[in-house]
Amino acid sequence: METSGAIIQAFIAPLVIGGISAVLGALISITDKIVNNYGDLVIDINSGKRELEIKGGAALLLTLAENGIFIPSACGGRGSCGACKVKVVSDIGPHLPTETPFLAKEEMADNIRLSCQVKVKENFQIEIPDSLFNVKQYEGTIERIVNLTHDIKEVYVKLPEGEEIDFVCGQYGQFEAPPYNKIKTPTQRAYSMSSAPSDKNHLEFLIRLVPGGIVTTYVHERLTEGQKINVVGPFGDFNVKDTGATMIGVAGGSGMAPFKSIFNHMTDTGEIQTREIWYFFGARTKDDLFYLDWLNELDAKYEKFHFVAALSEPQPEDDWEGETGLITEVLARYLAERVDRTQPVEGYLCGSPGMLDACMAVMRQFDMREDKIYFDKFA
Amino acid sequence: MKMSPEYTKAQANMQPGVITSDGFLGNDERPIVEIIADDEAEMKRASLEFDETVALMRHLLNESRKGLGEPVTVDGKWIVQAFEARGFLASPFEDGIFRKINAKVTLIHEGEPTEHSILYSDLSLHLIEKRHFFQGKGGSFRISPAAIKRVLFAD
Repeated sequence: METSGAIIQAFIAPLVIGGISAVLGALISITDKIVNNYGDLVIDINSGKRELEIKGGAALLLTLAENGIFIPSACGGRGSCGACKVKVVSDIGPHLPTETPFLAKEEMADNIRLSCQVKVKENFQIEIPDSLFNVKQYEGTIERIVNLTHDIKEVYVKLPEGEEIDFVCGQYGQFEAPPYNKIKTPTQRAYSMSSAPSDKNHLEFLIRLVPGGIVTTYVHERLTEGQKINVVGPFGDFNVKDTGATMIGVAGGSGMAPFKSIFNHMTDTGEIQTREIWYFFGARTKDDLFYLDWLNELDAKYEKFHFVAALSEPQPEDDWEGETGLITEVLARYLAERVDRTQPVEGYLCGSPGMLDACMAVMRQFDMREDKIYFDKFA
Repeated sequence: MKMSPEYTKAQANMQPGVITSDGFLGNDERPIVEIIADDEAEMKRASLEFDETVALMRHLLNESRKGLGEPVTVDGKWIVQAFEARGFLASPFEDGIFRKINAKVTLIHEGEPTEHSILYSDLSLHLIEKRHFFQGKGGSFRISPAAIKRVLFAD
């Protein structure tokens, strides 16, 4: 008897617990639908320039994206990149603890919010740069993948038939990796376009493998030619100023991308013949250099274009006769001895936050004005 | 092994999609207190001290940043490379936020890089230093004490 009682208990107990869990789950779901139902709301963008009729309850970033307005985000709305800043004109309460680490005092005073953290629970009035109205999502096709070095790939994406993109050299796109392994949702990361703006049916990116990186690992281990991929863009305000000032460009690794776009565009327009340009590119060994033939050809062909490659740790087999040292050391030598600083000079940088900080320190040391040094600090 | 509410919350924050897309636990289904206890025992067996280990890892992370994104050789023993991204990551224990900086440290043998390397972030260092947590097995940022011994304290 005791045995059969224990067996009944063993069967009944899980059923009872399961039943209670199901009821609780249903209650939570119903409560969620009632409590988080904010009904039909309106988001007013840039004082009536666009009005979105939306269902409330979701994060502003997601709500806008669902309605074709793409705010830059490098972490997919997880609140870890601080890129998705939007000015909220309406009073929606104090900043959240998840926002404050990413906002300067002036930004907080100006009602700048992280759109991934702010939920739309009432009618909203927001302000965004007009350029974001031009941002679109494209389902492109991978036309070509080229290994530039052991850890950098050139990825050439064809846009859907009949679609074109207008962008300015230096802007970036968000490249989306689909879910794989334990990654359950699509993941986007920002990469500068390396293609020229005249190639309106394609986008090209240089993507360096970041160990542990979700999108770069996908690109390096799984992405294949012919595959469909989502790209959102163009974003960013890093671009070459139309001043004619001497241009000092500094990059390393995949930071080459915007410069490839810029120099090809300048070749198309003829600006490469009229503007003084110094381009410094740093790598560790010769194996980490790429596009050397093209850049040396520009250097030889155009009197005002100067290409300086530097290796920080050249190997004996490299047989390297060029500049050596960290790119900041080489930059400092050239600013001291070679670059004509009696003329207006502008700095253009692309690289990691650490590289940008180090280059800016050198440029400041040589009296280059900070407001004349341009970069996109998204790494 | 019973977990405090703080550790229960931390384990929830470590799931994929909460702080990072792939989480902190890999395919490890153990409670984090068990992961920590097992790794503490392994550190002891390997005669590794937490303070000394963290200090060396922090030194290599700092050195890696000097390469400005490119690999650099440190003390003739390691090639280190920093990978920096915009923004911060919150600790799953909700005790701080950390810059997105990863360092890959590769052991050099007879002047050549070996296949032995470890990968860690500023946040990983914090978790090891303050919580003795090396992350779950199968995770991208899991470092086993054995790998630390092999790469950082090779004879």
